[in-house]
Amino acid sequence: MDLTPRTAGESAGPAKKKRNWIAISFIVVALLAGGVVVTKFLTSAIDYYCNVDEVGVRSGCNGDRRIRVQGIVKQHSVKSVDGTTEFDMTYNTKSIHVVYQGDPGGIFQECIPVVAHGRLLNGTFESDRIEVKHSNQYIEKNKGRLAEANKEAVKCSSQAG
Amino acid sequence: MNSAVTTPRGTGTRNTRILGVLTIILMVLLTFCGLIFSGEDINQGSTVRIMYVHVPSIWVAYLAFGMTALCSAIYLSGRNRSLIWDRFSGAAGEIGVLFVAVSLVTGSLWGRLTWGTYWVWDARLTSTAFLFITYIGYLAVRRLGGTHRQRARRSAVLALIAILEIPLVHFSVNVWRTLHQKASVADPNAKVALDGLMLFSLFLGLIAFTMLFAWLVIHRQRSLALEDAVADRGLDAAIEARREEATN
Repeated sequence: MDLTPRTAGESAGPAKKKRNWIAISFIVVALLAGGVVVTKFLTSAIDYYCNVDEVGVRSGCNGDRRIRVQGIVKQHSVKSVDGTTEFDMTYNTKSIHVVYQGDPGGIFQECIPVVAHGRLLNGTFESDRIEVKHSNQYIEKNKGRLAEANKEAVKCSSQAG
Repeated sequence: MNSAVTTPRGTGTRNTRILGVLTIILMVLLTFCGLIFSGEDINQGSTVRIMYVHVPSIWVAYLAFGMTALCSAIYLSGRNRSLIWDRFSGAAGEIGVLFVAVSLVTGSLWGRLTWGTYWVWDARLTSTAFLFITYIGYLAVRRLGGTHRQRARRSAVLALIAILEIPLVHFSVNVWRTLHQKASVADPNAKVALDGLMLFSLFLGLIAFTMLFAWLVIHRQRSLALEDAVADRGLDAAIEARREEATN
């Protein structure tokens, strides 16, 4: 509502409604950004998220399409040769061989859960993206915990077995 | 236009100053606990220290948006519809947006160091980004113009809709398969798996950030009251000038 005093020459007709274009612009940008976020999420969800033991078993987890596979890096299976990282990934006693061009990064290591994006070709999972999962367990690195860590490592190798 | 009568002269009082000093003390203690006293994680090393800012930030954001919705509900249901509830709502909304941004940035850095990537379109990250955008929209709606009551009514309705996103964000890790880990403390079924000082530092962070939120929201509410008073005075002056124009 504009109640500024009118000057003598000004028309006494109805004043134009003043709009806050900055706020309107922000709303439009927020709506567009919301649309982009939802679209990206839905596009990403097209790649099925499968556990290793579901590959070729669960609907949508067929090897002939691009999928995301989740499992634990098998102990003593990681090999890095000429910029290629190879390892076995296990879940519920099922295992899959993964080949990835590059260094997975993050806290990638044996016995840690990872998510590999790619396709299954001739029994090998050809991955072009690796993401490392970390659990919701936080254990302090100290001597007292070394025994526990070793126990976990044994557990990991027995799971992989 | 009588709001000028109850307008505070400044935004600080003795109590807010005490609250501010206590917040600073707890923040200093948190810095020492988070960076020096608490140990490194067996897998993540020092990266785990990001948690002491990341988790309290999103907690404060939940708290802020919860307060935004609660104050909006009180405003809409109250008989006298006091604008103080609208101002608390707006103040909490602004601070919530700030802390979601902090949570997204710290989470992204944490993700780069542990997952190996800054961002994935996973359910938790996507829903948090959507929450951030929604409340940016909420703040923009508050600035659309009109009278204080028009602003209060339309933003209160939006706040009551937007709060429905919080459970979606929080439980997204249980509903979908996500790269983001499940809750460590907030899940009643999960065994709390944070070693002594890590858990202490996290709780210290939650308390310190909550106090910071309280301090910020009180001050921001008061500065919003002053902004409203300035607008009201401008309106009073304009009405007075029109009266003079009519009588002369």
